[in-house]
Amino acid sequence: MKHFDDFSRPLEYISPLDKHFRAVLRKYIEQEVMPYRRKYDEDWKEHKLIEPAFDKLMGELGLQKSLFPQKYGGWGLASSDYIFRMAYMLCEELGRADTGMAVALAVTFWPLLVILVEPYVNERLLDEFAPMFCTSKKAVFAANAMTEPQGGSDIENMGLLKGRTIHTTARLDGDEWVINGHKLWPTNSGGVSKLFGVPCTTRPGSTDINDFAFIYVPADAKGVTQGGPYEKAGMAADKNGDIWFDNVRVPSWYRAHGPGRDAEAFYQLISFGQVASVAFMTGAMANLYERLYEFVSTRTFGNRPLKENDAVAGIIGRIAGDIDICRILGHEAAMMGDRRNKPYGLPLISEEVVGKIRNIKDFVSDRAVENFGKAMDILGCYGADREWDIEKHWRDVKIVQLWMGGKQLCQMESARYFFNCETI
Amino acid sequence: MGIDELFIVPGRSRDDESKSVATLVRQWADREIIAKRLEYHQGYPALFREKMKDLALSIGLQRMAVPADLGGFGWNTPERASDLLDVLIEAGRADASFGVLLAMNYALFSSAPVSGPSDGGSLIKVLSETFSSDELVMPAIVLPGPGHAGQTTALFKSRSILARVRSAGGDSFVHGSRLRPLAAGHDAGLFCIVCADGNDQPGLAFVAGDAGGIVRSGPIVTTGLNACTNAEITLDDVKIPSEHVIDSPGAVESLYSRLGLLLGGVSLGAGLNFFEILQNWCGSRVIKGSSLLKENPLCASVLADVAEELSLTNLLLHDLAGLMAQSQQSGPMDETALFTYAGMIGSRSQQAVMRAINRGLELMGSAGYAKEWHAEKHWRDVKTIQSLMCGVAAETPVKMDTARFFFSCSQV
Repeated sequence: MKHFDDFSRPLEYISPLDKHFRAVLRKYIEQEVMPYRRKYDEDWKEHKLIEPAFDKLMGELGLQKSLFPQKYGGWGLASSDYIFRMAYMLCEELGRADTGMAVALAVTFWPLLVILVEPYVNERLLDEFAPMFCTSKKAVFAANAMTEPQGGSDIENMGLLKGRTIHTTARLDGDEWVINGHKLWPTNSGGVSKLFGVPCTTRPGSTDINDFAFIYVPADAKGVTQGGPYEKAGMAADKNGDIWFDNVRVPSWYRAHGPGRDAEAFYQLISFGQVASVAFMTGAMANLYERLYEFVSTRTFGNRPLKENDAVAGIIGRIAGDIDICRILGHEAAMMGDRRNKPYGLPLISEEVVGKIRNIKDFVSDRAVENFGKAMDILGCYGADREWDIEKHWRDVKIVQLWMGGKQLCQMESARYFFNCETI
Repeated sequence: MGIDELFIVPGRSRDDESKSVATLVRQWADREIIAKRLEYHQGYPALFREKMKDLALSIGLQRMAVPADLGGFGWNTPERASDLLDVLIEAGRADASFGVLLAMNYALFSSAPVSGPSDGGSLIKVLSETFSSDELVMPAIVLPGPGHAGQTTALFKSRSILARVRSAGGDSFVHGSRLRPLAAGHDAGLFCIVCADGNDQPGLAFVAGDAGGIVRSGPIVTTGLNACTNAEITLDDVKIPSEHVIDSPGAVESLYSRLGLLLGGVSLGAGLNFFEILQNWCGSRVIKGSSLLKENPLCASVLADVAEELSLTNLLLHDLAGLMAQSQQSGPMDETALFTYAGMIGSRSQQAVMRAINRGLELMGSAGYAKEWHAEKHWRDVKTIQSLMCGVAAETPVKMDTARFFFSCSQV
């Protein structure tokens, strides 16, 4: 073992495009991200360094059009049977360099998946929105405006709450939806996005999934106000802020699919988000391995290289083992997603898929948080240094553990599936 | 209930002075730091220095450990370990950087050899004058740590000593390249450096920050303790008086022991303020549209973990302070035993506070990650202290120290 590529992944799961895309992406990352990433933290507000990197990745390299059908100039990945695995590869490679960049890119796809992935394709909305992403050489972002001030991640808890706690309302007035509400923390908010996917309710307090609506709102629509980006512990390449919708009017056909199907299509996003989260973390851990390998080979304890001390070897051996296991699990989670339309697969909205993928995300999150912390301790007095990159990943992966309902919602979804819990 | 009623320790007799100092620091922290954190968001380093002056000079914490007969409060004796711990918990509650600077200051004075007349009456006088100054003086301590592959160094319990001291013509000369202080290397007015002598024996060298031959690197960007900017230092045969070198057996162990206690207190203080933030959060946010977070059984179990980690750390650290007070008396508590216990408790304390914050952040979600709530700052600061105290190789050095003491291991 000499290279992070040697960490295990089930080879029969690898998509046919993996090798080519991974090579192109890695070359881009080595040239455009790695040399600058240590300065990203101070660039959190302006994105003077980060924006040009995104332009090259999403616009020039063309990743932002990758999901769209070829008739729009896209690459058609959303209709392939390996979208999860390709997304995993993309998020893992980017996560190795900077998980903030990885999440900003992945979340641009997130609201669009609601209308891109069979059986929930909306051609009219694709005609409307695809050109925005497929014709620009500049980065174009989208966001899922989910979290609300009063409920935190309740909105991701669709299995139990079915949208009951959503306060953002959508009222049909003639041939327009009128949207009112306040969202906070979406990735790619803070003034970045051109398009929002907005989960809202047509009847506040309802537990009928027919009252859940997923409506697209252009960021420049009248009545949309965005706050500036929050200052955070890490993830500088991912801007987050408040969004207010004040009597925002959009055409009635900007609703994704209609009663019932909106909730189903939206619920699919949970699994996409969890698989991407796992990929961010295994990518970051691949970089942990690279940096830790250098430290334990060049620095000593008892005048011997750290890696040659049995006690230290016990620690780094466990870290490597965790990375290996997490990567296998990550690919398993991606494959679970890609089996969704197969005779032997399950729909993404099934309790089994949601529960099992959440389990993997919870497990990998815990391992990532612990292993980055442990790696910092191995570096000792150098552990907190930006120069060694590990502290940056340590800061970044913590929010991956916390988002989308965090550890506790993962545990609840798992308990619901495995123990038939009905009230939690 | 407040943190005093919640985080209890076995009774001990505290004199009025120790109570009033801890109360004063608590009031200062609440009024000047905790209530104004959002205002401090901009230009924090400059404001930090200003507030540190309040704490160190106006309240007088800079000369707390200076012997009474040399103009200080006289809290340099082992009996005062608990009192210093209380002060550092309060300082850490405000900002770990305050606490780390004070902990390094107190560790120097509490180091037994500096108080002994035969070992350095002159040194204790210089230290006392330095820290009784009307100016803010930041100390910086350089401990042994990782060595470089291919180079053999003198060792302190397997940790590499990267600085050397030699004597010539009645003076001593300190040499070392790219040494890493625990903190504050960029602005330190006094360095305490663990050095090896010609026989590879460890000792402590005290070097004035303005001594000729010291070169400091630029500021090091780190994840936490950002207010006491660190830098690497290189000393090119820096001349110091010979009496500013302590080479008595146990001096380095003593320094480690004090740091284990005092930095444990700093992290615990940060953890207690995190507890207060979490208390506020869980008592005001709802889950599933109805119940308060703290009333949800799963969230409550996480909160219990947070409370358990912090309260047991509080007990352990006060136990350690009690052991230090005993160490002056005759009995089994020799310096090696104290070093071992301080290492174990210090390491466990840092890990426990870190676990508490990590778990608590799970309930705060994104808010815990936003600078606005300040929880993330405690998380970064404590992690930085924890990694620093590891020195190198995670908990391995402390485990080896422990195994040596309890099982007489001689090769590890």
